[in-house]
Amino acid sequence: MEKSELTPEQSLLLISKTIEDTKERFKEHGGIFIFWGSLTVLVFGSQLIFSLLELYQFTMLPIYLFPLGAILTGLYVWREYRRHNIPRTIIGNVLQNIGWVVGMNLMIMGFLFSDVLGDAMGPVFIILLALMIIVSGLSIRFKPLTIGGALANLIGLGSFFFERDYHGISLMVAAVVGMIIPGIMLNIARRKTDV
Amino acid sequence: MFKDLDPILHSQLRLSIVSILMSVDEANFTFIKEETQATSGNLSIQIKKLQEAGYIKVKKTFKNNYPNTSLSITRKGMVAFENYVNDLKNYINPK
Repeated sequence: MEKSELTPEQSLLLISKTIEDTKERFKEHGGIFIFWGSLTVLVFGSQLIFSLLELYQFTMLPIYLFPLGAILTGLYVWREYRRHNIPRTIIGNVLQNIGWVVGMNLMIMGFLFSDVLGDAMGPVFIILLALMIIVSGLSIRFKPLTIGGALANLIGLGSFFFERDYHGISLMVAAVVGMIIPGIMLNIARRKTDV
Repeated sequence: MFKDLDPILHSQLRLSIVSILMSVDEANFTFIKEETQATSGNLSIQIKKLQEAGYIKVKKTFKNNYPNTSLSITRKGMVAFENYVNDLKNYINPK
């Protein structure tokens, strides 16, 4: 970059271009949403299948995929930041921290307090998940994610009207609507801006 | 010509560095070099000037046995950047 006298217009242009280019470099991508949405469908889908086959002794097993998913996500994020030399942003840090806090609470609730929460477990799970999705959507200003999160929130609230047996299905639908579809759309949007 | 504008910020490379640091929490030397496409020598000089003005904070550490220089904007740098942008606006649209 050469040294030169800038006019006020050039300075403002340089500022806005630099900030936009920097933001573009670390734009969030849909991979994590697709991964967690698919994992949620896999876990609750497997539980449903075990229940239908009356193999009740195995219904808790798929839940253990969640801590494994958390470890894989942590490793993936750490590797991506290192490999692509991506700086940390305030929004990125906030989203990451919210993700960890909500995720840990969901796991603690699922493993330790499912009996206490009883029939409310599924809806509460979906509502917390929706909260995380909505906050992410609003932070990165990506409407499909915000709308997906809002729909998941409605599914969560609606689940209170259904029996516990159907909560697994609600969770799967919420994962598809709130994470998988917006995640795919986010990847498409990112690819378009990369061209 | 634009004598009222902050001379520290009114330089293409220094302004780019501060603009990058305004959008991130912290960035390392390599990232800023890639973004600004400046040479290491020139970048180091401009970073030093910004550091001396108290606009940025420079942290030198080691990462996998390699030196790693992290930069972040200071409160003073943020205020200076905001004032600079306001001054630019006043130049373009004088009240």
